[in-house]
Amino acid sequence: MTDNDDHVGKPAAVGRRQFLKVAGITTGGVLAAPAILKFTSIASAADRTNVTFASAKFFGKRTVAEMVDVFNQSQSRILVRYDELPPPSSSTEVHQGLVQRLAKKDGSPDVFTQDVVWIAEFAGAGWALPLDEYVTADEAGAYFPGVLAACKWQGKLTALPWYVDSGMLYYRKDLVSSAPETWEQLVAAATDLVKAGKVKTGFSWQAKQAEVLICDLVEFVTSNGGSILGDDGKTVHIADDAAIEAVQFMYDTIEKYKISPPDVRSWDEEPSRTPFTGGDVAFLRNWSYVYSICQDKTASSVVDKVGVVPLPHFAKGKSAACLGGYQYGVNASTKNRDASVEFLKWLSSPETQLLFATELGLAPSRPAVFDSAELGKAQPFMQTLKPVFVGATARPVTPKYSQVSLALQSAVSKAVTNGNVAEALKEAKTKIESIVGA
Amino acid sequence: MTTLPSAGLAAGSRRSTRLGRRSRAERWAPLLFLLPAVFTLATVSVYPVLDGMRLSLRNTMLSTQEDEFVGLSNYIRLTGDPQFWSAWQHTMLFTAASTLLETALGLAMALVLYETFKGRGWVRAAMLVPWAIPTVVTSKMFGWLFDGQHGVINWLLLQSGLIDNYINWYGDSRTALLTIIIADVWKTTPFMALLLLAGLQTVPHSLVEASRIDGAGPWQSFWSIRLPLLFTPLLIAGMFRALDAFRIFDLVYVLTGGGPADSTEVLSTLSYKVLFSGLDFGYGSALSAAMFITEALIALCFGLFIVRRMRRDNG
Repeated sequence: MTDNDDHVGKPAAVGRRQFLKVAGITTGGVLAAPAILKFTSIASAADRTNVTFASAKFFGKRTVAEMVDVFNQSQSRILVRYDELPPPSSSTEVHQGLVQRLAKKDGSPDVFTQDVVWIAEFAGAGWALPLDEYVTADEAGAYFPGVLAACKWQGKLTALPWYVDSGMLYYRKDLVSSAPETWEQLVAAATDLVKAGKVKTGFSWQAKQAEVLICDLVEFVTSNGGSILGDDGKTVHIADDAAIEAVQFMYDTIEKYKISPPDVRSWDEEPSRTPFTGGDVAFLRNWSYVYSICQDKTASSVVDKVGVVPLPHFAKGKSAACLGGYQYGVNASTKNRDASVEFLKWLSSPETQLLFATELGLAPSRPAVFDSAELGKAQPFMQTLKPVFVGATARPVTPKYSQVSLALQSAVSKAVTNGNVAEALKEAKTKIESIVGA
Repeated sequence: MTTLPSAGLAAGSRRSTRLGRRSRAERWAPLLFLLPAVFTLATVSVYPVLDGMRLSLRNTMLSTQEDEFVGLSNYIRLTGDPQFWSAWQHTMLFTAASTLLETALGLAMALVLYETFKGRGWVRAAMLVPWAIPTVVTSKMFGWLFDGQHGVINWLLLQSGLIDNYINWYGDSRTALLTIIIADVWKTTPFMALLLLAGLQTVPHSLVEASRIDGAGPWQSFWSIRLPLLFTPLLIAGMFRALDAFRIFDLVYVLTGGGPADSTEVLSTLSYKVLFSGLDFGYGSALSAAMFITEALIALCFGLFIVRRMRRDNG
């Protein structure tokens, strides 16, 4: 606590008096200390700036609420109240919760966390405060470039990175000597392993008509040098040759090479993860959460047999990892701008990111934090993910991402289910052009 | 003869007098008692419908802050949207299939339960279990039953020789909607059975006994006596179920999310996505209005049929 006080500067006069009083009482009665401290905290609440923080719920050794308490106890000028939203797996409900609050424009919540695909939407609606004047170029340069780029809208920084996640390739290192670097190599290795009877399924991924299908799509298409939407947010590339080839490959994994079962068409993250940790699958595309399950002796048949690498790419492309993770934003209507920004920067500081990494397993969005000794000790696996996150690729950046995503989900699901790839993608292009052209 | 008309006139006269004496308060009392219910219905049902209609005439979009009157643009867009018509067809197909199956199976169950046998009380209680289970739980259960890799259904079908390989029920656009219909039939048939069992209680037993005396067998007494007399409650139960089935959401949302390839997308899930994911309140409200209109037409058709049937019964 003393160190924290030094970091944030000297406490206010009122704070100092309260501290001296507590110190005096503490020396006299240890049992009375907790009650006195609590009383002190409550008594001083009226003197502190109140900031509300709305965030999705996360699970780990500690909770987000406890993290907020760390901030509240580290200084005495600002008191943050935590407004809990559902976990990220209930993405639509979190989105609704935030929209309902932000659309009122009454300043609440002051600070919020948002899925990376909502940044453009909230900024486009004028709900997120531009942060350029509060974040220097040096500070901005300390984050992964892909993550920081995703936090910008029309050249303005409207979000600050929290944690990063992305798609990656899990493979059985006990079955293959080295992980495949190209999709062609993956097909060959998967085919061989299935023929040899080592595994039941070669490659597991997520073709369910849902948001995760777009995450997979971004990876396949980008790894072939293609894209979905241009940087201007209006040029539609989903029907270009590179994208068509990539989606054709998605279909071919099921129908031509037969390395993926037709069941992937109804699988999202968990149903596709289950057979991999059950030992039936050679290669799995999924997020970072899978690794801890792989190493859980009570839930996995592949303990110590799994490696993680960046996803493969096509011959003329490079590996791509769909960017996930939640980022911070400040309400444009906040009535406590300075306090909100201070809290925001604390949340995104190296020390706090390290804390989130070790206590909640959320990978930092600052490369430097990955190199710290504490992280290596507490989360050795997380450190190995740094190369994956360097290639993080955002999903289409547009305020109407939700509508674009729904259109893509429908079209790509048709493509990978019925095989009419070019036709489905051309339909998607027409629909997306009508969505983003407005 | 002379006396009767006089008595009638006297009675009429007395009735008029009584009506004349009725106070203003007495006349208004029924309306006052109805006010709370009317007010509740107005705020909970009528206002949202009207507000939805209003929104469907605007281009309200939360994410871009658009909010202007656009007349019938949303409806014009609706009629040209293949995704809407695809969802509409799936919804109609689901409604027709599940209602017909539930009515037929429910009737069969009701007929069995109507007869006396040992343990009937227990069976009647047990059959309500599917209806009591929350639909989301039913969805998860059927997700496991019909799983393409480890499902019990696939295992049973394989063991009995009906299939050669496991079927990918939820990942195949030809079978996904079928599994949802099966899940709904399993869940809601007991409800229909209960309604129809109540209807069977109203059929006079003496008619069945009379037909037996005249030599009619069970099949004939069913077709000639029970079914005709049961037809009106059958239609009413069918109408309730059809209107409810049309609103199907949770089974689809949990099991398939509308996929694969939009093959299980229904109007409820499509409206939900457009409204709450896309934040397109204008077009989303037009979708909801289209659902409302279709439901109103279904209710109207059923209603007319029921009224005609009742008139014929009374005649």
